[in-house]
Parts: sequence; C-alpha cells; structure tokens
Amino acid sequence: MHDLAIVGAGPAGMAAALAVAEAGFSVVVVDEQARAGGQIFRRPPEAWGERHGTYRPYTWARDLIERFEDHPGIKTHFRSTVFGVLRDRDRSEHAVFDVAVSTPVGGQRITSRRLLLATGAYDMPVAFPGWTLPGVMTAGAVQSLLKSQKVLAGKRIVLVGSHPIQLILAGQLLDAGAEIVEIALARDMPGLVEMVRSLPAIPGHVSIFSEGLRALAKIARHRVPISRRTVVSEAVSKDNMLDVRLSQVDRDWKKTGINHTVEADVLVLGYGFTPSTELARQVGCDLIWNSVGGGWTVSHDTGFQSSAPDVFVAGEPTGVAGAERAWAEGHMAGLAIAASLGATIPPVALAQARRRLTGSARFAGVMQAMFAPRRAALAELSRQEETVICRCETIRNGKIEKTLQNNPFIQSASAVKLECRSGMGPCQGRYCEATVAARVAEVRKASIEASGYFNAHLPVKPVPLQDYRDIGGE
Amino acid sequence: MSKAQRLETKRGRELKFTFEGETVTAFEGETLATALLAAGVAAFSLTRTGEPRLPFCNMGTCFDCAVCVDGRFLVRACLTDVREGMQVNRQEGK
Repeated sequence: MHDLAIVGAGPAGMAAALAVAEAGFSVVVVDEQARAGGQIFRRPPEAWGERHGTYRPYTWARDLIERFEDHPGIKTHFRSTVFGVLRDRDRSEHAVFDVAVSTPVGGQRITSRRLLLATGAYDMPVAFPGWTLPGVMTAGAVQSLLKSQKVLAGKRIVLVGSHPIQLILAGQLLDAGAEIVEIALARDMPGLVEMVRSLPAIPGHVSIFSEGLRALAKIARHRVPISRRTVVSEAVSKDNMLDVRLSQVDRDWKKTGINHTVEADVLVLGYGFTPSTELARQVGCDLIWNSVGGGWTVSHDTGFQSSAPDVFVAGEPTGVAGAERAWAEGHMAGLAIAASLGATIPPVALAQARRRLTGSARFAGVMQAMFAPRRAALAELSRQEETVICRCETIRNGKIEKTLQNNPFIQSASAVKLECRSGMGPCQGRYCEATVAARVAEVRKASIEASGYFNAHLPVKPVPLQDYRDIGGE
Repeated sequence: MSKAQRLETKRGRELKFTFEGETVTAFEGETLATALLAAGVAAFSLTRTGEPRLPFCNMGTCFDCAVCVDGRFLVRACLTDVREGMQVNRQEGK
C-alpha cells in the first residue's frame, strides 16, 4: 500500500510527489509517456543518451525533474495508463484506492491511501470539414514530435488558432527548417505583443515573454505571413497536399465571408487546451464549467482536495494555466496531502507554496482572459451536414442535429451520446464532447454549460481484456 | 501520405520491424508513430468507410494512431516504443 498514487508526471505531479516523498511518505506515479516531464517538457528518449531536453523558458524544470527522478521514495510507472479507480470506503474512515493500471507488460493494481489527479490537458478539439484528414494535427502533436522525437511533421506548414503556443511553435518549426506558409490567428492582434506591453504588471515571468519575443522576431525575419481575425474553415486533400481554406472573421470570430486558400503538408490546430478530467469524473469529483480555463474543471478547496474524499487535483484539470501554475498547484497539493497523512508542515514551506501560487495566479489570469476561445463561433465551423463531429465513430453533424430534432426531450450532451453513439469510440468522447455540447446549446437555446458533459466510467481508456484478468483480485 | 522527416540528431541503434508485411527501419527510442510517419505511411488505420487516418494528437488521447501490434489491437503507436521484429498492421474498420 502506497501513501499516495499520482496520475501524471508533469510539473504538477512531480512537484506534489516531491513534497509528499520529502515528508517521508511513499509515492507512486503513473504516466503514459516514456519519461517524466509531462507534455510541456517532452524529453528525448533515454536510449538517445541525454538526460535532459530543452526546458526554456522554464528555469526551474531541470532541478524539478532531477529531484523527482532521484528521490528514492518515489516509484514510477511510465508508458502506463490508469484506466480507472475503485474505492473501498469500508476499510477505514479514509478511502483506500485501487488504481487500475495498464502497463506495457500487463495489468497492475496499485493501492493507495490518497489519490492525486495531475492528468494535464489536451489540445482543444475544433471540428470543421476535413479535420480528420491525414496531415491535420494538433499543436501538441507537432511540438511533441519535434521536442521528444526530433521529427518534423512536414515541410510546408500552416498554423491556425488563437493560442500563443502557435507563435512559440512557429519559431521552433522555423529553427528545424520548416517552411511556414501562414499563421492564421483568430484574434485581432498577435496577443504576445499586447502581453509584452503589460509586462510590468506581471513580475516573475520575464523569461516567458522573452521567449515569445524571440519567436516573433524569428517569424518576422522569415517573412511568415500572419493573418489576423482569420480561422480555418475547411481542409481538403488534393494531390497529397492539404488545401486549407482560411476565412475572415469578426471580433466574435463569426465568419464574414472573405476566404483564401493555402497549400500545405501539415495543418496545425492551436485554439487552446481542454483539461483531462475523465478520471476525476469516474472517481466522482464535482466539475465546474470554466470556459477560459478550458471547459470543465475539477472543483477543489485551498489544499486542492476535490469534492471526493481523499482525492486531490493539481495542474491543468483545475483550469488550464500553464506549466508554472501547474508546478505551484502541485507543490501546494503535495503539502496538503502530506498534512492529511499526518505530517507537520513547516510554516516556511507553506508560505513559500502560497507565494508561488499567488505569483502564478496573476500571470495565469491574464493569459486565460486574453486567449479565451469563442466557443459558439468555433462550434459553428462544424455546421454542415457532412462534417464529422465524432472522429472515432464517424458521427456527422447531420445525425446529431437530426437526433436533437427527433428527440425534443434531449437536453444534454450525454443524452445525445446515448442516442447516436457520438463519444462512444476509443477516445471516449474527448474530441467530440465540446462540439456536441455546443450543438445542444445552440439547438435548445441554452448555455454550453447547461448541456453538461459525458459521464465517464471504468475504463476511461480502452485496454486489453488481459489487463483486467491480471488485476484479478477477490 | 505522411511527409514527416527525421531531423539530424544522435538516435539509438538501428532496428527493423514490419508494417503490413513491409520492412521498416527505425531507431531505438523512437515511438512506433514516429517510425511509421517517417517511413511515409499513408494510413495507420482506416475507418469503416475506408478513410485513412494518421496521428492527430501524438499524446495518447485521440486513438487515431491505433494499430495492431503482434496480434494485439488498438495499440496506440504514439505511446509504443519500436522493438526489433515487431509485426505491425493497419487497423481497419475502426
């Protein structure tokens, strides 16, 4: 039995693991990637002989990763998927968690006294005609190929979106020798310039801004066209290339009708990020709708304990706010978990954690407000009958609209899922939930929030039947 | 078809596996997704209606990169390290 099981070895998971392990408790961490660091620090493989990747501009990353990897009290399972958590409420006043894990060598059950969900986020799905075509990828996909595998997704690249990651990524792609055909931003201004202007208001984040400035300078030097108030409206496959149609939009990202087409090998989508909350849903945590934080987020107290007893949460699932914020939240969650296990937390440590949280909150708040997605306008891009909404089950918009017309009592995304299978494929609705909810909201003239979210059950990700057998148990 | 290309860097030792019976060369430490993308594979899987799919998220979330490895289905290529001699097949009708 471990004192704490953590899902996710990103900044939040690592920081929490260290805080708890340093208080003398045993910690086990499970992560789907090959090494610690999370999506933000995707490092080259161990087999390539280098311990570290490039962590710029996060100056604290190297130290955090080293301390995490070197701590004898932290056990890790990489390339492993937590597919569900069972709780036994009877054994003591506190919960005992049975964490179901699918590892490369089979199923494994981990038992723990506390659970921390530091599950991160994934690229915000935006459905439009052609988004299932080969060559269409998320910003995270293209960046992780570059960072951890030293692979360029294609030669001619077009980036679309509204998140500053697109500018940083453009700089990295140019460095790697890519030709960037165009960067189409939905916003009025390339947000980083505005942010740089507000720099004095945001102490402690100078390195992140200089990273942005560096990227902007590189983009200018390569004379990459940047379109403003422009969104992607269609991708068509032609002669092994993608014809990417870009449309002008107004301030609310509603199409104004002027289009142009660019040709590329790869279309990169970067409209923001969505918290990974499926495990939190499965374990029974309350969620809160927080549009600027990425959508559905996990409700928690000041010690990052969720509404489910002994289940803690840190990082992007509390609202997407970047690596620095995740690190701060993980640290605080770790101290709270250690305290709940009986440790005495020195006031100095607590004060430091609070300071870090306050510092990161200011920055995260500015970022979130500045890059809030216009959800209704993005959902509008999937309006045509033939547009695929659910990638796994190839459920098209026409079917979803017909389902809503034929079933006047359907008021929720979950009910649509039950009626027409959207969200029932291997990805378990991660890439269609937001669009389905937006469609329900639109047709029923309600808010996206009121459309709710898909319920999550064990397994939250499909795993081989053999893994269940391995876990066995009484 | 994927137009992904490897950048110059120190990689692991060379190894070989098969995709749909064809030999693919890769390097230790690469993911299966990387190796197949760099090999110019046109489809990791085909939908029920025959449309090709390539990796979309490269982080284990979307399952568009799922392939059949040594008879085991729904294996995410982006989370699987290449191994010498592994037999990989396209997943069809997913």
